[in-house]
Amino acid sequence: MRNIKNNWLVQVIGFVLVLIMTGLTAQGLSRIMPPYYLQIGFFIGINVIMALGLNLIAGATGQLSLGHSAFMSIGAYASAIATVTLHLPFPVGILLGGLAACLFGIVIGFPTLRLSGDYLAIATLGFAEIVRVIFTNMQITGGAIGFLGIKNLTTFPVIMILTVAMIAVMMWLENSRNGRAMLAVREDEIAAESVGVNITWYKIQAFAIGSFCAGVGGALFAHTTTFIQPTDFGFMKSIEFLNMVVLGGLGSIPGTIIGSVVLTTAPEFLRFMANYRMLVYGLLLIIMMIFRPHGLLGGFNFRQAISRALFLGRRIRQGAKV
Amino acid sequence: MFKPNRKVLVSLGVILSLLLIVTGCGGQSGTAGQTGTTETKEPIKIGFLGAKTGNTAIYGLGNLKGIKFAVDELNQKGGILGHQVQLIEDDDVGAKDQAINITNKFITQDKVNAIIGDPLTGLTRVAGQIANSKNTVIMSAGCTGPNVVEIGPYVFRDTLLDSVAAPATMKYIIQEKGWKKIAMIISKNSDYSVGVSAVFKQAIEANGGSVIDEEYIQDGDTDFSAQVTKIKAANPDVIVFGGYYTEAALIMKKVREVGMKDIAMVGGDGLQSEDLVKIGGSAVDGVISFAGFSPEQPTPTTQKFMDAFKAKNNELPDLFAANGYDAMMIIAKAMTDANSADPVKFKDTLAQTKNYEGVSGTITFKANHEVIKSPVYLLQVKDGKFELLKKVPVALN
Amino acid sequence: MKDLMQQLINGLALGSIYALIALGYTMVYGIISLINFAYGEIYMFGAFTGLILAATYKTNVVVALLGGMMLSLVLGVLIERVAYKPLRRSSRLSALISTIGVSIFLSTLMVLLKGPNTQGFPKLFENKVYAIGNFQITIYQIVIIGVAAFLMLALHLFVTYTRTGRAMRATAQDQDAAGLMGVNIDRIIATTFAIGSSLAGAAGVLAGIYFNAVQPYMGTMAGLKAFAAAVLGGIGSIPGAMLGGLMIGLLEVLSVTVNLSEYKDAFAFGILILVLLVKPSGIMGQKINKKV
Repeated sequence: MRNIKNNWLVQVIGFVLVLIMTGLTAQGLSRIMPPYYLQIGFFIGINVIMALGLNLIAGATGQLSLGHSAFMSIGAYASAIATVTLHLPFPVGILLGGLAACLFGIVIGFPTLRLSGDYLAIATLGFAEIVRVIFTNMQITGGAIGFLGIKNLTTFPVIMILTVAMIAVMMWLENSRNGRAMLAVREDEIAAESVGVNITWYKIQAFAIGSFCAGVGGALFAHTTTFIQPTDFGFMKSIEFLNMVVLGGLGSIPGTIIGSVVLTTAPEFLRFMANYRMLVYGLLLIIMMIFRPHGLLGGFNFRQAISRALFLGRRIRQGAKV
Repeated sequence: MFKPNRKVLVSLGVILSLLLIVTGCGGQSGTAGQTGTTETKEPIKIGFLGAKTGNTAIYGLGNLKGIKFAVDELNQKGGILGHQVQLIEDDDVGAKDQAINITNKFITQDKVNAIIGDPLTGLTRVAGQIANSKNTVIMSAGCTGPNVVEIGPYVFRDTLLDSVAAPATMKYIIQEKGWKKIAMIISKNSDYSVGVSAVFKQAIEANGGSVIDEEYIQDGDTDFSAQVTKIKAANPDVIVFGGYYTEAALIMKKVREVGMKDIAMVGGDGLQSEDLVKIGGSAVDGVISFAGFSPEQPTPTTQKFMDAFKAKNNELPDLFAANGYDAMMIIAKAMTDANSADPVKFKDTLAQTKNYEGVSGTITFKANHEVIKSPVYLLQVKDGKFELLKKVPVALN
Repeated sequence: MKDLMQQLINGLALGSIYALIALGYTMVYGIISLINFAYGEIYMFGAFTGLILAATYKTNVVVALLGGMMLSLVLGVLIERVAYKPLRRSSRLSALISTIGVSIFLSTLMVLLKGPNTQGFPKLFENKVYAIGNFQITIYQIVIIGVAAFLMLALHLFVTYTRTGRAMRATAQDQDAAGLMGVNIDRIIATTFAIGSSLAGAAGVLAGIYFNAVQPYMGTMAGLKAFAAAVLGGIGSIPGAMLGGLMIGLLEVLSVTVNLSEYKDAFAFGILILVLLVKPSGIMGQKINKKV
């Protein structure tokens, strides 16, 4: 039993099967769901991907980044250039968007990750502002006028497949050797280094994967809205993603997913409040933090709870407390 | 460790204060059009798409004031085709994802007959794609950029386009005023400013003027001392600024402060607002802008609108309010003429609108349903008021 | 050259405003290591209070300035009570999000109360221009630089020589130890919030007078830049915040002088990143060795 479960081939086949099933379900849903709800589903998917990336950086590895929307914009513009200017197919565009963001994540990561805590936060914030200013002044991106003529290529199955794949990869990563090393970096850098964890390497790794996610999210965003401008990726956008991660429970994958779903749908639920919507949104953030400072699922180990429910608790190692 | 009393008290306090605020400043909001007439016929629904909060709320709220005013007027006269008009307002905060969600909601949940918005070009492009694919008329009352009405037969706008008015303005200042050395200011993060400035620049070259200094600002900036210091050193005949009135007023204050007493600023209809004078005071005297109507020689329609609007809102309508009002009224007229509130039917009537005398100018839709406003008025601020400088007719084709 | 001198004065005035806001960031951060994102909004509320006092109640400039400072002070203490104090024992990120919530709440509240339009500031006193040699300086610039310098000096003396100031420094160094020595930590944190907020309020009124424009979202960018200034100078250091503020102000103005004004914001943040890479604790910040 155990051997079968640990066989990589079985895992890969299972993974592919799950993706196919997701695709088929999404295909079915996109036929029967009202367009309004379906559209919200698009943004839930994009935001889950974005937030999972940030969760790896800020939640799992403990590096506070306030520049997540910059990586999103790099992915969005790179993919738009790929599909519009270079006439490449959409999947290549998504991949290029992710890779471009990933590349910048690494380039930025090397010098700035020497900084710790809030210094890193302000450095990433500064980086995001610089990226926005550069996109505003570049020719190929259309400057402030924006990037025109992107085709509406994002479909619900594409978003759902990528979301589920991203969740699976993140869960796998969390339990892998790398994931544990990242957790160790978060808990205590000095202790981690003293037992031989190369902290810079794992920080860069988290930054690279997190930025890749942001790039993919950006590519999907660009091909959903069909038109992007530098103002779409401002400071408040980065903050939105951070809110999703922290609201759900920093470092918790199910928490991040719930946080993204809640905050993406919140504006729609709050719509009846008309002008007071943002007022209430601000208040909700404060009240949430006062009552559940570790997020909705903070301190709650999903895996452990499930396995306990299935009487398998003893065999699963206890995860790190968030 | 856990002290529920403290936390409960704190959040209760917060909620209480929120309630106080909500009840305190309520009243000004609320959906228009649901005035208590017992109408058995189903109302005609109009969706308003625009920002009511956030950085771009000025334009959205301006639009909304004009639209609400129009809806009230329509309903007092018995609505459109005997149906009351119901306005559904949603706040997109100026964000694309929100605009997409709202447009979908308008069309599939609320089942609106037409959408007015968004005042921003970018959001209109995004919302226009959706509305057009779902056969719902959308009319922007603010966007001026390219690639908007080309989206499809359901996408309209009623704004004065820069491509016509800006060259006429430049021709006037270079050839009639003889101002050849020009300093340009461009707001780099505003698509409106970048767009209109490009048209200005082309026209300056075509008319034999030269741009001797080009300075960049950003919308939302408040300190222009550095740029103005450089402009003073360049010593131009005139400053051309394609942008909005807030920045224009602040720039002019600085310009006067550093001792450029007589130089004029020339810009687009983005400068046209009571707030230009409110913020700029005497510093904005001499500012020239183009516009679709003249407040000095208004048509009776415009005059009536301005008076009634002022009586109700205690302020003069700005450009966005006037455009919003016209958008609602043109749609109402098209519905009446087509004898149908079905977008599939009235969109063709709408596209054939010719020489519609709106409050923001005379509106005609060309064969490709792009808007043309004629004539274009050149206005100049004198003693705190916009006065007519010149009337330029525009070819309607 | 004549141009450059003029630009330096422009930069000095702008930098003074950044420096005043940066002081609030640096003081609060120095004591509780919290980035207070609601700071920009306190600055905005200060500006609006000054505007309302001057426009509606026709008060003079001193009353408007003090009124702005008072309201900001009350607001700052209120924020500390509601959004920070219940979170003191939780993670710093929770407190950060909570202040973001306050920031969104306050700016939306102001849009609802006063509308999103930029409002002009009434003339509180006649603006005169003095020509000194080749360049000129306005009364507004003199007042702003003067008031900012006075407030910064007063703060410096307060923190260095008073009992409360000493208690603040002690709390910044080691909260628990200070508490054991009889320092009332709660009171000191509240005082820090109060002082920092009143400085932001003063900056708001001064900015209103100088720029002649007050707007509900004016705090966001000013807050970010002031925070950058605080980090640049070395967060926790009061002279550092002044230096950082002035540097960012001068840098912005100089980027216009060298014809790169479209990259103005990029410069401010670019230099910040560069300084952090060379000296991660900021120009005047103290290096803190991590304890194992």
